Amino acid sequence: MITRACAVLALLFTILVPGQAIAADPPTQTPIKHFLFLLQENHSFDNYFGTYPNADGLPPGTCMPIDPTKPSLGCVKPFHLGSQPISDLLHNRETFVGQYLNGKMDGFVSAHIAAGGLNAEQIARLTMGYYDARDLPYYWNVANRYVLFDRFFSSAAAGSFMNHMYWITATPGDPNHDSPPTTGFGDLLTIFDRLESAGISWKFYVQNYDPTINYRTLQNAGDKAAQAVFVPLLDFNRFLDNPYLFSHIVDMEQYYTDLRNGTLPTVAYMAPLGSSEHPPGSIQAGQRLVQTIVNALTRSDYWDTSAFMWAYDDWGGWYDHVSPPQVDTYGYGFRVPALLVSAYARQGQVNSTTLDYTSVMKFIETNWGLPPLAARDAAATSIASAFDFTRPPRPPAFLSASLATPPPVEPNRAVLYAAYAAAIVLALGLLLVATGPGLVARAVTWSRAFRSRT
Amino acid sequence: MQPPARTGKVWWQAISRNLPSALRFGALRSRLPQDPPAAVAHARRMSLATVRSTRIGAVRIWSPQIGERALALARAIATTLVTWLPLVVILAVATVVRIWSLNALGYNTDEAVYSGQAAAIAQDPTLSQIFPVFRAHPLLFQFVLAIVYHYGVSDLTGRLLAVVIGLATVYLAYFLGRLMYGHAAGLIAAAILALMPYHVVVSRQVLLDGPMTFLATLTLYLTAKFATTQRASWLYAAGGAMGLTFLAKETGIVLLGAVYTFLALRQDIRVRIRDLVIATGAMLVVIAPFPMSLVLAGGGGAERTRQYLVWELFRRPNHDWIFYATVVTPSIGLLVVAVAIAGLVFLRRRRGWQDVLLASWVVVPIAFFQLWPVKGFQYLLPIAPPVALLAARALTEFRPGWVATPIGWAVNLSWLRPLAVAAVLISVAVPTLAIVSPSASGTFLAGSGGVPGGREAGAWVDANTPAGSHLMTIGPSMANILQFYGHRSASGLSVSPNPLQRNPSYDPLKNPDLLIRNNELQYVVWDSFSASRSGFFASKLLEYVRRYHGRAVHTETVTIPSASGVNVESPVIVIYEVRP
Repeated sequence: MITRACAVLALLFTILVPGQAIAADPPTQTPIKHFLFLLQENHSFDNYFGTYPNADGLPPGTCMPIDPTKPSLGCVKPFHLGSQPISDLLHNRETFVGQYLNGKMDGFVSAHIAAGGLNAEQIARLTMGYYDARDLPYYWNVANRYVLFDRFFSSAAAGSFMNHMYWITATPGDPNHDSPPTTGFGDLLTIFDRLESAGISWKFYVQNYDPTINYRTLQNAGDKAAQAVFVPLLDFNRFLDNPYLFSHIVDMEQYYTDLRNGTLPTVAYMAPLGSSEHPPGSIQAGQRLVQTIVNALTRSDYWDTSAFMWAYDDWGGWYDHVSPPQVDTYGYGFRVPALLVSAYARQGQVNSTTLDYTSVMKFIETNWGLPPLAARDAAATSIASAFDFTRPPRPPAFLSASLATPPPVEPNRAVLYAAYAAAIVLALGLLLVATGPGLVARAVTWSRAFRSRT
Repeated sequence: MQPPARTGKVWWQAISRNLPSALRFGALRSRLPQDPPAAVAHARRMSLATVRSTRIGAVRIWSPQIGERALALARAIATTLVTWLPLVVILAVATVVRIWSLNALGYNTDEAVYSGQAAAIAQDPTLSQIFPVFRAHPLLFQFVLAIVYHYGVSDLTGRLLAVVIGLATVYLAYFLGRLMYGHAAGLIAAAILALMPYHVVVSRQVLLDGPMTFLATLTLYLTAKFATTQRASWLYAAGGAMGLTFLAKETGIVLLGAVYTFLALRQDIRVRIRDLVIATGAMLVVIAPFPMSLVLAGGGGAERTRQYLVWELFRRPNHDWIFYATVVTPSIGLLVVAVAIAGLVFLRRRRGWQDVLLASWVVVPIAFFQLWPVKGFQYLLPIAPPVALLAARALTEFRPGWVATPIGWAVNLSWLRPLAVAAVLISVAVPTLAIVSPSASGTFLAGSGGVPGGREAGAWVDANTPAGSHLMTIGPSMANILQFYGHRSASGLSVSPNPLQRNPSYDPLKNPDLLIRNNELQYVVWDSFSASRSGFFASKLLEYVRRYHGRAVHTETVTIPSASGVNVESPVIVIYEVRP
């Protein structure tokens, strides 16, 4: 009873005195005082950055066999997707196994065909499609200025839910199900429990958040049921039943308010609902969401002390050529795009450290002195190599959502200077010619006067 | 040396008849002969007299007796002081009124553009990314400013250069006046120009009209020298100076009409066709580097200049037809204009080539810009020196003396002339002092000075917005200022997407909604100056603020008296951040 009363009081305090709700920044190992982590949906590294210069992208000559056991059936080469309509490709545990093919990595097309369905072969070919700077100019511009990870693997060789569980718990959650449990999670620890115990502020920002949707109300959630997957805290009974904890899950608008009011929490996770880039959704909408988040951070007072990272919850069925290391029974899955934006991020670095979602968790735990949650995050390599804390923070800059256009042709300054100097010299010459006789006459007069007197 | 008609007898008879006739300008005689051959002879006499007096001083300096040498030196210094001290004082006053609180307010839009161009020519790393080298006008002034900007871009430096050119114009006005009407007229003309609000205001700004006026006055001077000496080389030099006038600002070419009008009206000024052709050729040769640099330097200059010319020819009027009469005339000085006109009217019977030349120099630009649909405050600046000269001439000729009163006494009215000169100078000095004193207002006339809050808002933008920010303003004027001081790109909402209705230097915001939604436009700037001119776009701009989570992040205010007389802080520039 007392605990509940304290929780209610704490909640009231949080609501009524927002400016003072968050205490002074807790001590950190690095200049990073705020960490934001967004998880988008369903794209592999090669699908987004396969042609990015100096990254481990699509190998030349790649051609994925339609059936690895029958080379005569031909193969599918990577091709530019552009604005071509796409489908939601299969991306569950079975698909992974079929595409991975015990490390041979040549089942990306055949796994889809094997699953059958309408236009299976046509859809299967899509897996070899890729985007590039023309389609993702903002992401590529971010990669050029900050850090792009090209060995960042999804934690689980499975679909969305299990990877989301790794994202917040460093475990697969329910190893037998890649979906929200029917009874919710009980005592499973999350990174937010660790933060809460340490008195470190945190929030979970959700785009288009609907607080009525959770694992208990999925039946009536309709199109918004994905909220229970993308926001795994909504599958934890204690986070649903404790008003204080529940109050930490807020709409994305609160993020912009927090930036303005100076109430940005120390650690924040973010989930999209509507701009997740989940096929067949618009990848440009996802870009806009990320850019809006980054821009707001860029022009806030938090720029110098923050880091924002986003990654993708799984590969979405798309081709990726790097065979993921199998660190335990559940993963890794295929590589996913991951990028880091921070005043301390190395400039234009392609970071090739082997990482997964728990590597981000590792950085948070190290930075704020938190104990690990599970074996995976305890063993993970931190993303710290992407930062350079030896240099002062870089000044904020808005990056364009357009491809860098070639600089306009600059006029030749030498021609300009020569032309106008010539004009002045010409005019002065004419003036000298006009005044010349007068000057000469005056000189002669002076000379005669001098001579006559001497 | 005395003009023959200036005898005391004639003078006394004239003024003793009655008071009104004594105050008539026509009752007085000019010191200068009016027909050109006589003028030539007079000039020669003056020249010899000068040489003679100088020779006396020079010879005595070489005398073996020290005392005599010292005396000669003292005399020479005294003569020099008497001759030049008034001019030095005038130039000192001209300097003071031009640099007083010179940089209290930041640039206006035109200043920002020209300084931005100069910075681009000087390859300033930031501004050269924002301001194109080629815009509308030739680049003579920007070229000179660029040389200064190689040592650092600063608004004060630009304005100081403009001031120096303004002072040179005052100096030149003295020589022009001395050439045409004598030393006193030159001094009075220089003093009027030194204090004239119109010239003071414009020559404190980084505008092209100040340098153009200087070069136009030089052209006028050289033309007058030609009229005085009948030597063709002066006409060629005038052609060269006219070429430079064009290079300062292309509208200066209008004054070519004034030269031809003068030559047409004064048939006694003999000009050979060959000389006229050579002078015109000299002008074209000096102008030639402008089109040549456009073509040879690359960078799209030729195309942009062509677009600008087409737009300028067909753009809509921006002021009503009485703009110059109601705005520029008071700025020149109502009394100055009145005295100049009075001089032309009352001295019409002894009108000389000088009056015709000056009148042409005034009337032709007025007629042209009155007919030209686009009007600008500073466009008529080249008429300022000739108007000052005409007024100075009238004042010089105004010499009231002894007058018979009804009760039989004679009264000496010679004090009226210095009084008239003082009245004219005070009439221009008072508004000038009011103008140069720093003041703030919520409204603004293009070309009339700096914009309150513009520099400070730009500095805020520079310090507080991330690199790569894009700002939307009501119109391009504030956009230019924020670009110069803020080092960020800015676009005016009012710039028309129709190429026929917009200055080709500006790019329109075809779809601001899309730009904000795509995070390509992050700040919206409202300003009272643009809002007062375009209520529609000001209201439209605020719609975007409301629609896209607008939040005021910076406000510039000015202190203005309220209706109740209490000073209040009034916002003049408000910067909002917006997001999708």
